[in-house]
Amino acid sequence: MKFRKINCAVMFLLLSISIQSNANTLPADLSWENNNNAKPWASPLATKGGKFTDFILTFPPTLRTVGPDSNSSFRSYINANQLGLTDFHPNTLEIIPQIATEWAYGQDGKTVFYKLDPSARWSDGNPVTADDFLFTLDFMRSKHINAPWYNNHYTNEITSVKKFGDHTISITGRVAKPKEELHYYYGLVPTPKHFYKKIDKNWVKKYNWKIIPNTGPYQISKIKKGKRITFERKSDWWAADRPLNKNRFNVDKVILKVIRDTNIAYKHFEKGELDSYALVLPEFWHNKAKGKLYDNGYLEKFTFYNNSPRSSSGWFLNTDNSILKEKPVRIALAHALNFDKVIKTVLRGDYERLQAFHTGYGEFSNKNISARKFDLKAANKILDEAGWQQRGGDGVRISNGQRLSLNLVYGRKEHSDRWSILKQDALKAGIEINLRLQDSSSHYKTIMQKQHQIASLGWSTGFRPAFWQHFHSENAHKPQTNNITNLDNKNIDKDIEAYRAETDSNKRVKLANALAQQIHDSAVFIPSFKVPYTRGAHWRWLKFPDAPGTKTSSTLYSPFGDGGIFWVDSKTKIETKAARKNSTKYSSVNKTFDQYRENTSD
Amino acid sequence: MQGYFTQRLLLTIPTFIGITLLVFTLTRLVPGGPIERMLAEAQLSSGETASSAEGFGSQSLSEDQLDQLKAYYGFDKPIITSYLEWLWKVLQLDLGESTRYGESVWDSIIERLPVSIFYGVTTMILTYLICIPLGIFKALKHGAPFDHASSAFIFISYAIPGYVIGIACVSFFAANLEWFPLGGFVSDEFEELTLWEKIKDLLHHAFLPLIAYMAGSLAVMTFMMKNALMENLSADYIRTATAKGLSFSSAIKKHALRNSLIPLATHFGQNISVILSGSFLIEKIFNIDGIGLLGYEALVERDYPVVMGILVISAVLYLIGNILSDICVAWADPRIRFGEAK
Amino acid sequence: MLTPQAKKRWIKFKALKRGYYSFILITVLIFLSLFAELIASNRPVVIHYNGELHFPTYGDILPGTSFGYDYQWEVNYKDLQKQFNLEDKGNWLIMPVIPFNPLESDFIEGEYPPYAPSIESKHYLGTDMAGRDITSRLIYGFRIAILFSLFLLAVTYIIGVFIGALMGYLGGTFDLVFQRLIEVLSNIPILYVIMIVASIVTPDFWTLVLLLAAFSWMGLTWYMRTETYRENSREYVMAARAIGASHSRIIFKHILPNSVSILVTFFPFSVVSGITSLTSLDYLGFGLPAPTPSWGELLQQGTANLEYQWIAISAVAALSFVLTLVTFIGEAIREAFDPKKYSYYE
Repeated sequence: MKFRKINCAVMFLLLSISIQSNANTLPADLSWENNNNAKPWASPLATKGGKFTDFILTFPPTLRTVGPDSNSSFRSYINANQLGLTDFHPNTLEIIPQIATEWAYGQDGKTVFYKLDPSARWSDGNPVTADDFLFTLDFMRSKHINAPWYNNHYTNEITSVKKFGDHTISITGRVAKPKEELHYYYGLVPTPKHFYKKIDKNWVKKYNWKIIPNTGPYQISKIKKGKRITFERKSDWWAADRPLNKNRFNVDKVILKVIRDTNIAYKHFEKGELDSYALVLPEFWHNKAKGKLYDNGYLEKFTFYNNSPRSSSGWFLNTDNSILKEKPVRIALAHALNFDKVIKTVLRGDYERLQAFHTGYGEFSNKNISARKFDLKAANKILDEAGWQQRGGDGVRISNGQRLSLNLVYGRKEHSDRWSILKQDALKAGIEINLRLQDSSSHYKTIMQKQHQIASLGWSTGFRPAFWQHFHSENAHKPQTNNITNLDNKNIDKDIEAYRAETDSNKRVKLANALAQQIHDSAVFIPSFKVPYTRGAHWRWLKFPDAPGTKTSSTLYSPFGDGGIFWVDSKTKIETKAARKNSTKYSSVNKTFDQYRENTSD
Repeated sequence: MQGYFTQRLLLTIPTFIGITLLVFTLTRLVPGGPIERMLAEAQLSSGETASSAEGFGSQSLSEDQLDQLKAYYGFDKPIITSYLEWLWKVLQLDLGESTRYGESVWDSIIERLPVSIFYGVTTMILTYLICIPLGIFKALKHGAPFDHASSAFIFISYAIPGYVIGIACVSFFAANLEWFPLGGFVSDEFEELTLWEKIKDLLHHAFLPLIAYMAGSLAVMTFMMKNALMENLSADYIRTATAKGLSFSSAIKKHALRNSLIPLATHFGQNISVILSGSFLIEKIFNIDGIGLLGYEALVERDYPVVMGILVISAVLYLIGNILSDICVAWADPRIRFGEAK
Repeated sequence: MLTPQAKKRWIKFKALKRGYYSFILITVLIFLSLFAELIASNRPVVIHYNGELHFPTYGDILPGTSFGYDYQWEVNYKDLQKQFNLEDKGNWLIMPVIPFNPLESDFIEGEYPPYAPSIESKHYLGTDMAGRDITSRLIYGFRIAILFSLFLLAVTYIIGVFIGALMGYLGGTFDLVFQRLIEVLSNIPILYVIMIVASIVTPDFWTLVLLLAAFSWMGLTWYMRTETYRENSREYVMAARAIGASHSRIIFKHILPNSVSILVTFFPFSVVSGITSLTSLDYLGFGLPAPTPSWGELLQQGTANLEYQWIAISAVAALSFVLTLVTFIGEAIREAFDPKKYSYYE
């Protein structure tokens, strides 16, 4: 749950704001907070130096972080080196300082005041000032960046940014929110005003491959198009001595190689050309990560249970469909799907059943809800009672001449095996499921046009459960909205509206829990799987603190962001390479870390 | 003859328009264009791991904003208007800009051209170098054990798709035995090498991909050569020549061989466009940044300007190739007169 | 009945042992695959239950209730067999050689798929990643692939021969227009078209046959056109025309029969390309929808999981075996149809 960077605009507007804002004066009654005592999560044993090589599947289409095609996976590498005002502690989720050293809350419940670190510097040596934050707003509102979501967010959600001298600002959002959410939704990332100067209609093209000054520990030093991108550690990074940054960001160079095939990339890893390899997929973990390299201890395996919001993945049932509009059919279908069998077989017992739409949101998740269990008797009984008692010669139920045959659209070839196993058992309940694989773009289009019967997909996670977009009737029965089940229920609508308007955390939690129950009762979503861990293998020269990750780590091998806690032991590296040549053995390592493991019963 | 070629040259124009118009229309019919891709990326969880997202995917865009996106990607006009605009640009040698990489399509293609040409041309030369002698030898030894054994071998290599051979080669020779690098066109430190080392490095990287490329074409060419030669060997004029006392080997050299090369020459022209397109699967496996891979990625990512750009080049090459193969045939066999048959 | 010429060719074909035996073998394989349900299926070939015989292979499912179980869905024949053996009441059933259907995931308690080949578990070639029997999938996959290529061949031949003959026979503008059309069609990236179709409807067997046919009839057309040109100028055609034979009669009675040799020699190679196309499409995931048994899909699984060698080896071996057989037939046909006898020089 990283505090995501929300980057940067029109010149004339900027001028007017800054002239006006110079006249601003701070409210007198602010109580400043700093959380300087937050506990570090790095290890004092860490040493600096060496390089870390990882791979990416495609070369990024652009280095911009906003605008067309900027939403590639590579953006996270750039964003991780562009600090925000504050961040969340990866273990405790408290607010921790970044560019801001102190913060305070306004009376209106929607304003936060920040004091900036005067020593903060851009990678080109220029100081980071309040103007860079004001510029962010202009930048993000500019039509020229061709990023309508950003335009919307920075226009509708963030009302104003004010300057109180060079190193103090305030940000005001549209509505009052609980404190931590103010930071999450209204926090800003500075945009180097001195660098961009002016945003015009050529911006998208002009900045495609420009390296933008940043404030984080690393900066891109070399780009070989289509092949590799190298980041280099800043030797005199301004925030290096902060307690939370000490012993982190240890390697001198981070190299990202483009390797287009995961199998081939794994071969590179085995050759020692990559330092680590994430092995979340069961096929990889169980099939590939074994053999001499592991037995001899050259490669070490780590499984780390994390605890953060889980992607809402599963089957979405379109209630506008003539068969699925009957709730008994939806409930029976949920009982006819043997997800546990899939987990126990092709997923090798690694994944867990997802129980509800929102899980991993702490108390915002309703832990009393569990997904409907595979139960053929129940499924058959419900269908018999719902008027589907007649079966055809092929065992599929029929009602009024209509077969109980449903199409499942999905966008990933790798999932075919999972769904064919479910299909076999569903037939026992008299339900035929036809698998319809589509390539990912058309899959998304089908769903957005609401042309599916059943759609398999996973929504990305947020900071807090989001109900309105997925379940409010305002988004039902029309294309291009996220209510893909077309759920249309007045009671649910009412609660969603209340949840959105509520600023008191406790009341919101209650509403969220109640909503989760109602959504479960409506049976429009059949939860599939969650991955409760992150895991991988690395060469033994990669060293980690006792806890190799944090509660919210999505990978152990992130060199940036709230990661960067591992280091490369150059002596071990030489030693290991020699040992490989003459087959010296070390003890094999396969560790599991479950200090943050969720209680599996929830 | 000259008239014939002029006519053929003129006829390439409607063909070219036909090809590009058809594909251009198709790009408009595809569900899920660049705009959908952009919307999807903003909202869906991409991997199996818990991922965090920006949290403002929840907002839907206004009509105005969607129109702005449509205009950015050039989807705001009727098909025929945008086709004509596109065609006009192509005539000025401007292939437009990639919607994904935002850079000129020309540049993307030219960047990858050397790699594709290297593999295409080398594969072709090597295939001819192996197939012609092998075909001749097999024709002369028709029915002998060597003929059978090599046929079986060639058929099997023909039956297994090139990409499968590629994967097998990488896992065995590159990963297990470590004889060859795992992929790439050249080493990372290529620029620092001496010329001799550069050549060695290039060949070291190219060896396995070339095997995968050649596996398929080997069979076709070898049998084409063998059949053609056998046909010619049984022709009357060879009998006459040998009857007149010309030794068999010089009969082959003087007459049969030359005539047998005609079908290969026909093939040559048609191969030109294939040279460039390569096989995206082989390129993917060996991590070679060629035109084939560019085209496939563009298709999957709905990067239409690149798709169209590659199509223009391959169509032009195909059309030129067809004419070239006529010229080749005419050159190899002076008896053939085009355009007079009617 | 066979014409004397055809008979001569058949005798010559038979004399070419490699091609002839391949032909017999493949015919037997195709024939057997048509009855694949009797060879590889989870349904028994015959059941003897309480004095009655059942043949469940074809037709409706037999629900559990018809054998005294309490469930409505198809009876689990493996359980039934165990129960029969246990009760020893004179009930019996005979399972096919391969007691798995190609869509069925068979899981072994305490082990994860894929399972290695084993005679004991009756997975003679092992299972794939989802626990489905590879032998069974190969058999059904073969049936689909070979039928696919035969139908594809039929459609392409009908279109190709018809248009080719007309182009050669009529010449002129018709010829010119179709030449351009062929050029246009041969330049359309077929994968692209299939991706587009796949995104609108999930392609089924017939959609794929028609789609591929629409883009592969052109190859034959060229040969047919040249052949017709040549035949057209022969004396017998001129004679037929002189006595007032109609166009269709000339084409169907005179030109086509004389072009048959060229058509037949292309036959096996079209089959090969049909099988290869379907396999590649399945490999890329644009072919028949999962979980249809398919060689391409098996190949994809095999290459992605090289550690489980039996998957890739089975797929590659089956593919190269069948393609090699067909190619051998092709070579023999070509030789049998060749009017010139080869000369050998020592």
